[in-house]
Amino acid sequence: MSDSQDTQRRIGVFICHCGGNISDYVEVEKVRQAAAGEPGVVTAKTTMFACSDAAQQEMTDAIRNEHLDGIVVASCSPKLHLFTFRAMADRAGLNPYRYVQANIREQCSWAHRGHVPEATVKAASIVRGGIAKAVASEPLATMRIDTKPRALVVGAGVAGLRAALAMADMGLTVYVAERSERPGGWAATFGRTFARDRSGAEMIEDLLRRVRERENITLFTGAELVGKSGSVGDFTAVLRVANGDEITLNVGAIVVATGFESYEPSEGEFGWGLPGVLTLPQYKQMLDEGRGLRGADGRPAKTVTFLYCVGSRQGEEVEGGHRYCSRYCCTAACHAAVHGAEQAPGLHQVHLFRDMRTYGKFETIYEDAQRAGSVFLRWDPEDPPVVSNDGGRLAVRVRDRLLGGEELEVPTDLLVLVTGMVPREHATLLNALKIPVGSDGFFNEIHPKLRPVETVANGVFIAGAAQGPKTIAESVASSLAAVSKTAAMLLKGYVDLEPFVAEVDEARCTWCGKCLDACPYKAIEQVTVDGRAVARIIPALCKGCGGCALPCAENAIDVKGYTDEQVLGAIDAMLEETA
Amino acid sequence: MATRVNLDLHDELKAFGGKDLDLCYNCGNCTAVCSLADDGGSFPRRIMHLLQVGAGERLRHSVEPWLCYYCGDCSTQCPRGANPAEAMMATRRYLISRYDWTGLSRRLYLSNAWNIAAVLLVIFSVLGIFGVAHGPVVLDHVALNTFAPVHWIEFADLLMGGVLSFFLLTNAARMAYWILGDQGVPRIPPSAFVKAVPEFVVNFATQKRWRRCGTQQGDATQNRRWLTHLILVSGYLTMFVLIVLFLKWFQTDTVYPIYNPQRFVGYYAAAALLYGTTAFAIGRWQKRDEIHKFSAGTDWMFLLLLFLTTVTGLGVNVFRLAGWPMATYVTYAFHLAIDAAWLIVQVPFGKWSHFLYRPFALYLVKVREMAEQAAREREEGVPAAA
Repeated sequence: MSDSQDTQRRIGVFICHCGGNISDYVEVEKVRQAAAGEPGVVTAKTTMFACSDAAQQEMTDAIRNEHLDGIVVASCSPKLHLFTFRAMADRAGLNPYRYVQANIREQCSWAHRGHVPEATVKAASIVRGGIAKAVASEPLATMRIDTKPRALVVGAGVAGLRAALAMADMGLTVYVAERSERPGGWAATFGRTFARDRSGAEMIEDLLRRVRERENITLFTGAELVGKSGSVGDFTAVLRVANGDEITLNVGAIVVATGFESYEPSEGEFGWGLPGVLTLPQYKQMLDEGRGLRGADGRPAKTVTFLYCVGSRQGEEVEGGHRYCSRYCCTAACHAAVHGAEQAPGLHQVHLFRDMRTYGKFETIYEDAQRAGSVFLRWDPEDPPVVSNDGGRLAVRVRDRLLGGEELEVPTDLLVLVTGMVPREHATLLNALKIPVGSDGFFNEIHPKLRPVETVANGVFIAGAAQGPKTIAESVASSLAAVSKTAAMLLKGYVDLEPFVAEVDEARCTWCGKCLDACPYKAIEQVTVDGRAVARIIPALCKGCGGCALPCAENAIDVKGYTDEQVLGAIDAMLEETA
Repeated sequence: MATRVNLDLHDELKAFGGKDLDLCYNCGNCTAVCSLADDGGSFPRRIMHLLQVGAGERLRHSVEPWLCYYCGDCSTQCPRGANPAEAMMATRRYLISRYDWTGLSRRLYLSNAWNIAAVLLVIFSVLGIFGVAHGPVVLDHVALNTFAPVHWIEFADLLMGGVLSFFLLTNAARMAYWILGDQGVPRIPPSAFVKAVPEFVVNFATQKRWRRCGTQQGDATQNRRWLTHLILVSGYLTMFVLIVLFLKWFQTDTVYPIYNPQRFVGYYAAAALLYGTTAFAIGRWQKRDEIHKFSAGTDWMFLLLLFLTTVTGLGVNVFRLAGWPMATYVTYAFHLAIDAAWLIVQVPFGKWSHFLYRPFALYLVKVREMAEQAAREREEGVPAAA
């Protein structure tokens, strides 16, 4: 590159063999020679394993002895070792953001096995790009933000209440905002719950009593979260209460535990609307009330039929259908069958299921339901059961796959539609929180395995069935996971944020407002500098997405760590023709 | 017409002995291990499922329960402890009660009280008849034929045989009607009914199909059980022939020498019966084999009455040879009373009917196969290779 020919930078390049993972398909020595000739490069070496302690020591020594002000490690994906080498740079006294990782394994050697000359050319060009980026790099510093020792929990169901208690016991001040007038959520409406038959209502009663005992928990009912501003560690949350008043809270983090809705079948779906047809929560209530199981005619029910997967695992033929499995319903229906058999000995129970998913320890509940005299028949989504009500006689016709598709008729007094969980309608909340929902309508975590309760909004965590169908036990487990993430952050007293945020060149900015519209995180504010209106980035809110840089007509916005100079320089270097 | 799920019947089948059938989740392991499952791979799994949904109509048309010899492989391999073998047994009991049009069989199977009461009723009736209608009691020597004249006994035998045959054969006719009347059985050429007879005779005499059963437990166990059963059957059939065809020769006050067939054939039959009933009773007591792990009241009653009939029969012979007149007469009365109870309660209405239904089921299967073969030939227009 012509404009960096005369660079004064001192860059070190290290090419990794990765055992043979790279060197079997890339001639690393040729790559090293090519790198050594690049402007600004003062040292270029190969190493067997760059991530090994010895190699890291060698790099540390090189940084110190050769007074390097930038390094490139050409090895694996940064997903694997970015932080390893940043820490190494830091130990050696080099600003960690002047380290660049060039991926010549996943993006080169592994992808081009058996094509050594071509892979070698490509690796050299990837390394050149890395060098160009390192040459244009600037020292950056993480942003430290002081956190407020207060948390807001949205939703006072079992997950929200349990989270509030746990955080209060760690010494945090907790506010709980419940949209309805009555705290407790779904669990408060349940009698016996699986797996240990404990009453959901009693459990909630117990949680509420403990919540009331704690002075550092404030429970708002009839209160909806309508606004959120500020940044991680220092949010301003606005609650609107029943009389229209607004309450403003200053909190360091927000835990969203808004739960789920029960699926409401559409008219005529599996007989919905016919007398004697009810949903699982309705049947559960009938059981819990303990006043006997009665059919539509008011007489004691002799037969109860459960029809599974209503509103779950819907196929493409249902527009906007729920494709997912609600996972709690199989167990809940089997548990209801055990309960029903106890309450009405001799009760006949038929289960029309698609696949029985009483996973994990709940498998025994399926067996208990069998022992209690339940008959299980599997149906095929290609040919689903048909509910009829000829002459007031409720019956389900189902094709029996074990009898070669022969049609069976199940006369029944009650038909329980085993309905699943669907996401809540909460447009106001979504608008306030700006956290993403998945295609299923539930809140999305950052990583389903490794970061299961964090959202892309720093300081906003999700807990319980708001994230997707969960049992009570799973909801509480996830709520306590959210507590540990929240409390770890708030009790430490500060958070360090990556410095990759947008930056406005105030001299060039003319405040056209395009960046403000483009920012999904409300991280841009208008300020006046020397009498001119210009845009300014609020670093704590900025995610470094670059959305504002693109529409900027004056080219006044750059994202730190990914400046135009760095990115374009790297592209130019990679495309450079070599002999 | 859709099959109606009938859970009352499901519950009733549990009362017939299929008490664990709820546990079945239809994995099909039972069919996989069954050495006799060769009819499209649904035996005994299909029956388990029919029991679960209480498909009475379909069960009535099923022949499969009679093709199972209860080796128990399916029950030992069942991952759920659903006991398919016992469920098949329960189905046989249910089918016996369905074939029986009097409804008595159902009562006897479902109630031990009915079972015991019926047996006692017959025993006391026969003893009562003896009490009022016996011949002169000669006490200076044993004169059994004076006490119980053989032509009267013979008459009673034939009368009872006729009545029991009537019940049993009408039941068998219902069985045939249901199994062959199943939808899907093509028109049966009349000759098939005759051509299939050897199937009945061979299976009646040897239970040969049984020997293909139970390969999971090794041949020794199956052979032992098959042999014990064969010995018991041979003893029974011998005794049956002696009593029905040769009663005048068999029930006599004359003492023949030991080498006379009247003596040693009779002793063989008695020994075979004693051995068979004792061996099976011990088996049921020890619950060693899968087949003997679950014994219904009717199973015990069957063995008990057959054992007591044999013992009292031997007693009559011993007392007669010993020259004890009164003991001979009294034991004889008990012998007939117990035998009558056994026959009347068990032949048309109970477990003993399996001697007919099992080979008859194989006969019906053969008839059905011939009908299907004939239908294929009609369809193809040319006779298939024999």
